[in-house]
Amino acid sequence: MSASANLTLAFRFARRELRSGLAGFRIFLASLTLGVAAIAGVGSLGQAFLTGLDEQGRTLLGGDIGLQRLYPAEEKERAFMARFGTVAEFASLRSMATDPGDATTRALIELKAVDAAYPLVGEMTLDPAMPLSEALKCDQLACGAVVEDALLIRLNTKIGNTIKIGDGAFVIRARIVSEPDRVVGGFTLGPHVMISREGLSRSGLLTPGSLISYSYRIAFTQETTPDAFRTAEAAAFPQSSFEITDRTNAIPRVTRFIEQATMFLSLVALTALVVGGVGAGQSVDAFLQRRRSTIATLKAMGASGGQIFLIYLVQIMAVAGLALVLGLAIGSVLPFFVEYYFGADIPAPAHYGVYAGPLFLAAAFGTLAALGFAIPPLARAREIAPAGLFRDLVAPSASRGRLIYRLAAVGAFVAIGVLSVMLSPNPRFTVGFLAGTVGSLVALRLIAYGLKFGLTALPRRRSQTLRLALSNLIRPGAPTTSIVVALGLGLSLLATVVLIQASVAGEVEDQLPSRMPSFYFADVQQDEVEPLAKLVGSYATAKDFNATPMLRGRIVKIKDVAAADANIDADSRWAVNGDRNVTYASEAPKDARVVEGPNWWPADYEGPTLVSFDKNLARGMGLKVGDTITINVQGRDVELKIFNLRDIDFRTGGVNYILILSPGVIDKAPHSYIATVRAGQTDDEAIFAAVSKAFPNITVVSVREALAKVGDMLAALVKGTEIASVVTILAGILVLAGAIAAGHHARLYDAVVLKVLGATRSRLASIYALEYGLLGTLAGAAALAAGLVAAWSIAYFVLEIPFVLAGEAAAFTVVGGAVGTLVLGLAGGFAALSAKPARRLRNP
Amino acid sequence: MDTSLRTRASSIVIEDVRLTLASTAGPVNILNGVSLEVRKGEAVALLGPSGSGKSSLMMVAAGLEKASAGRVSVAGRDLTGLDEDELARFRRAHVGIVFQSFHLVPAMTALENVAVPLELLNRGDAFTKAEAALQAVGLAHRLDHYPGQLSGGEQQRVALARAIVHEPEVLFADEPTGNLDGATGAAIVDLMFALRARVGATLFLVTHEDVLAERCDRILRMKDGLIVAEDGPK
Repeated sequence: MSASANLTLAFRFARRELRSGLAGFRIFLASLTLGVAAIAGVGSLGQAFLTGLDEQGRTLLGGDIGLQRLYPAEEKERAFMARFGTVAEFASLRSMATDPGDATTRALIELKAVDAAYPLVGEMTLDPAMPLSEALKCDQLACGAVVEDALLIRLNTKIGNTIKIGDGAFVIRARIVSEPDRVVGGFTLGPHVMISREGLSRSGLLTPGSLISYSYRIAFTQETTPDAFRTAEAAAFPQSSFEITDRTNAIPRVTRFIEQATMFLSLVALTALVVGGVGAGQSVDAFLQRRRSTIATLKAMGASGGQIFLIYLVQIMAVAGLALVLGLAIGSVLPFFVEYYFGADIPAPAHYGVYAGPLFLAAAFGTLAALGFAIPPLARAREIAPAGLFRDLVAPSASRGRLIYRLAAVGAFVAIGVLSVMLSPNPRFTVGFLAGTVGSLVALRLIAYGLKFGLTALPRRRSQTLRLALSNLIRPGAPTTSIVVALGLGLSLLATVVLIQASVAGEVEDQLPSRMPSFYFADVQQDEVEPLAKLVGSYATAKDFNATPMLRGRIVKIKDVAAADANIDADSRWAVNGDRNVTYASEAPKDARVVEGPNWWPADYEGPTLVSFDKNLARGMGLKVGDTITINVQGRDVELKIFNLRDIDFRTGGVNYILILSPGVIDKAPHSYIATVRAGQTDDEAIFAAVSKAFPNITVVSVREALAKVGDMLAALVKGTEIASVVTILAGILVLAGAIAAGHHARLYDAVVLKVLGATRSRLASIYALEYGLLGTLAGAAALAAGLVAAWSIAYFVLEIPFVLAGEAAAFTVVGGAVGTLVLGLAGGFAALSAKPARRLRNP
Repeated sequence: MDTSLRTRASSIVIEDVRLTLASTAGPVNILNGVSLEVRKGEAVALLGPSGSGKSSLMMVAAGLEKASAGRVSVAGRDLTGLDEDELARFRRAHVGIVFQSFHLVPAMTALENVAVPLELLNRGDAFTKAEAALQAVGLAHRLDHYPGQLSGGEQQRVALARAIVHEPEVLFADEPTGNLDGATGAAIVDLMFALRARVGATLFLVTHEDVLAERCDRILRMKDGLIVAEDGPK
């Protein structure tokens, strides 16, 4: 028979079998639908955000082109920009806002000083409504300012009142309702405050070496493209140190974050698909078991093994097709659901819609998972012998299916893995996640086998209830292994997330504050270092005061190759993407750990500038002692010869400089100092107030407050991950429900026999409670074991933070697993409890 | 014996066939060196107590089970070296089987059940022939009924129609009346003999009923995996 005739026959037979409905496929349908919906939903949501960013790139950036650096543009550069379109300019810096009546009431702010052209694109919405230029206008006494709500609360002030920023007085004329390019600012430590350029001049904050970022926006007035602008800029200013962004990728940081978050949540959704797949496979197996007689009959009539495989594959894939349609439908409406319920709270722009790409991908994953989980039972069904119609007891079919089919199933899973890695923005993480999932699957399976083996080896129990409960768990065909694996994987993912959260929280709340300084003092002028040290030192708990000169510089050349063209590892690329802190020192800092090269240059060294560089970055950039790198500081290129390499522990939270230069050249550039101090919590407020009062120009950053902000952000991330892992648990529950449903008839039969022999309903209920309670506890314990290993590995190897064992997370995993399984098991056993023996015996 | 001559005249040739199956308690010897020849068009009954090996011998002869040793030739085809799929192709072309438990496909109507062998042969007239076969067994009015909607006797008639619809050379029947009451069973047996006569098929009948066996040309008695006696028709 030709292949097409075989296929036609398979479709015909499949259609006949499916006429009787999908009753046997409910769990298969639900598991696959859930997994596909999760992947499609996450992908669609991610795409909605990426499309939103793409479409609103111009508004988000505030123009077609954005340029930024740490010193202002020169005249010729301004003229160059103006050739392309209208230009707006603003300066951003961190500063302090003070209540003029009480100098100790201060708040860290993110200050933006804008020119009259700002904003070029988008609307600035103020309350009360007024033009921005009107709100920021200066008179002889004061300039105007517009502020975010948080500052009004922080300083307990209101619109119409005056605040001090630096030496300048500013009248709060309005509240910022929306700022078109707010998202570009990214993570901020304080509320936004906007003033005019004149206001900034009057504030006295423009001191030498202040950390001010100068930004320019260009709205094209002629027919050109961002790429054309970049090319022209590079040609006109080969030494340009501007960081250039454009409307096509306005906020690379946010785009990257969304890509990474989508990737991570997609992997969690993929885990849900895999967990559900275990249930789907179980369901296919149960279905084919029920079809044994039909399969044997067809074979007796001359159907070949290949035809049997095809007939049932067509049926299963037809149901899988339905699951895909349902899953894709649910997944595609998820963005609209998110828009409806959470749209107002999401700061990033989104274009909620139906996107073909993520849906196609979810369909591909769903199809591969369906194939991967369906092929093994189908391969076993293919081997059902027609002789089985006559006997099964003497020679039960124990075939695992032919190798070629098992390889095909493995191929489907490998394809899922390869597809995930290929499409991932972070392949290494994806490989790690997939390896972790596979490792957990194997570990859970081994644990399940071990438990079954252990329970079998237990001496015979005197308690009949316990004996019957245990035998239900270990009898041939008991779904103990698949339940422990499927439910365990969902629970272990949740346990991993919760345990990592506990470790990260422990690091942020306990470990970091004990290692980190309590305050950073930025924009400290050279003549202020001594008085600041003295003032801070007057507090009993203050210690480890440290002040270092600080400049900002960008690595522009590695040896003689431009940084953009240099061969740099992905892990080290960050160091050349933007400005880095740079300092100089005639002596080795006391915590410097030199690992290669001489210890330090002589204190009186005079000569070409040397640099002490970070060991890991040097490796990532292919540099060694004696090589050169070039940095651009305030528009000037400085070539540095690597003198030694240091091992830097970034976790100390101190001011860690990847570049420490020899003095001689760099110290002539205008610069300020940054100082840190550690103090007891009791002196926190007093130090803050005293420094604020004595040094109005110094920006004081409280580490405790900053860490609280970081903690809030982490909590939001963890919440998202928790929701995603709940989907995985839901898939595990489906597997459990499937296993309970599959064993329903056998359980009913057992219950009837036991009732005939005199067992009461309460006795049966105790057996079920013990059985499912034990099963859930075992699944929970196995999940906890897997979760502990995974969380510890991530904490130790990836995050490099101490692992914190959170008792409640551990308890939740085990108790949650036990209670959930118990409730579902008892619900499933209810029919068996209420079965009337006489009726069942008459109609078996 | 001249094998080629014997093969031309014979429908089934079984030479020193042994069957050993694995079980959890160790290997079990089912057939212990059975030899047998059935001529074309002949009706042979296998009689014997439960566990004597008669169903296993039928399975080996029908190509449902591979012998552990010995040689089996059916309808001129040596089954000894055939793999699973070749055996399936052999069965669909040359063999019809009637089971004690009917073994109809529950999801298919009577007509579809009967059409299956012809569909497996890729015959375009599968449904016309199937309808005619059902008519021949008196079930023209039950074409669209599912097995669950038919009585035991009706189900066995459908199974009979399915077994002969493709006019096989050999018809195997395993206790065809075992699940039926006396009157229904007798009617089925009449029908079976009539149909096999119409298509000229060899009949290989497994039964433990002497009355039924006596309607065959020969009666072979089995015990402990061996043919221990052979009777002619009375």
